[in-house]
Amino acid sequence: MSTRLIVFEDDQFDHFLPLAWVRAVFELKTGATTLAHKIERAAGRAVDALLARDYLAPVIQRRFPQAKVNTLESLRDEETLFVNARVCGSGWTPPADRLALWHGDTLACWRTASDVTAIRDYASLCAAARGADRADFTGQWFDYIWDAMLANPAQITADFAAEGRKGIEGTMHASAVIFGPQDQLYVGAGAEIHPFVCVDTRNGPVTIEAGCEIHPYTRIEGPCYVGPKSILLGAKVREGCSIGPMCRVGGEVEESIIHGYSNKYHDGFLGHAYVGEWVNLGALTTNSDLKNDYTPVSVMMNGVAVNTGSNKVGSFIADHAKTSIGTLLNTGSVVGTMAILVANGAPLPKYIPPFAWFLNGVVSKGFGLNGLIDTARVAMSRRKVQMTDEDEVLLRHVYELTSADRMEYVRKGRRAAARK
Amino acid sequence: MANKDVLDRVIKVTARVLNLDPGEIRPEHSFSFDLGAESVQSVELIAAFEEEFGIEMDEDAALAVERVGAAADFIGKQL
Repeated sequence: MSTRLIVFEDDQFDHFLPLAWVRAVFELKTGATTLAHKIERAAGRAVDALLARDYLAPVIQRRFPQAKVNTLESLRDEETLFVNARVCGSGWTPPADRLALWHGDTLACWRTASDVTAIRDYASLCAAARGADRADFTGQWFDYIWDAMLANPAQITADFAAEGRKGIEGTMHASAVIFGPQDQLYVGAGAEIHPFVCVDTRNGPVTIEAGCEIHPYTRIEGPCYVGPKSILLGAKVREGCSIGPMCRVGGEVEESIIHGYSNKYHDGFLGHAYVGEWVNLGALTTNSDLKNDYTPVSVMMNGVAVNTGSNKVGSFIADHAKTSIGTLLNTGSVVGTMAILVANGAPLPKYIPPFAWFLNGVVSKGFGLNGLIDTARVAMSRRKVQMTDEDEVLLRHVYELTSADRMEYVRKGRRAAARK
Repeated sequence: MANKDVLDRVIKVTARVLNLDPGEIRPEHSFSFDLGAESVQSVELIAAFEEEFGIEMDEDAALAVERVGAAADFIGKQL
């Protein structure tokens, strides 16, 4: 009997906002892959089913066409392995015995041969797993979104080893150099490394996927993963970065994760940051990732400042967010989905709600949701990607989910502007 | 036709946001062409009207209003 693999997100998905507004936790990245892919690698098979918030189901189904989403009815008479998206699959071996592993009160993993066909969400999964033999989960666990970012350098290295690719399948100009072990570099087919590029593999491996263009004077320091068809424009890519696919990156980037189709074309520093899809960071946008007193950075999560325990934490910038030229992001900033930031010369507030504008020093409603969606549709079409009906429904749903939070900040902003 | 009090307050707010003399602003003036409002200032104008009158305006409908007098009419209907 084969074992079916089911990956789920639990009821603390809000620890992974703002990125998790439009994606399930298992779609977040660390290293070269998503969290789901690492679990698949550990389990030795592709996911058979996924459990996530209902409103995400249509887009998840599109991204995982082979998997069942929020229904296990077809998984009758099978042994089943449930794995929480927060389990780091790298270096982890799923339990061979039929038991439930718990991380505190949160289910981490459950291997069972019992009937699971009635399970359709985390609550019903937990109720079923509570009757099983239990043990404590002892592997690596992602508690908050910054854990994925902080794990990124080690995970890039682990993914490079797991993938086992090395060598140059694309082209590397004779004036480009590999500074360090050559077997720590993989360049995919069709990728072009231009003259005067330095790939430093002394401290970790570098993967440059197929179709990438690495322009002159770029320095890439391993461990680093550059996703397919990304372009680096004279960038200073310091250790621990995962970029792309289809990103445009210039300036200085350090220990950051940038999901697909995002632009940081120009100079400016992005450090210890986590950036969603379709983000555009205007020229000279810079984030702080270290406080002047070297104390741990706090991040606003659900209206509460959470101590990250790390003194190197930058920004969390959600999908479709845009910053103007010269935007200064404070240490541990959170920028919501589709937010528009217009710099005013000072570091911005540490929290900008989803779909809000930050303009002249205050949060406002801006041009509203329809204007933001129109702009996103244009931005996507420039990369030959069409916004689907599911994408639009998702964004409109998240707009409603975040309305009360946004309006609280908008009202404060209006009062502040009236006092000026 | 807008209530005179509403129109006066719309003119006062417009003058403050666009840094103009209230005496220069007339109901038939266009925010953009006559008063020089940039697109981002329309965002500030909407926010300022909402604060002044204690209302919430639909962004699409509010942005479609082009003239000072029409803004007063639009706001007056929501009071």
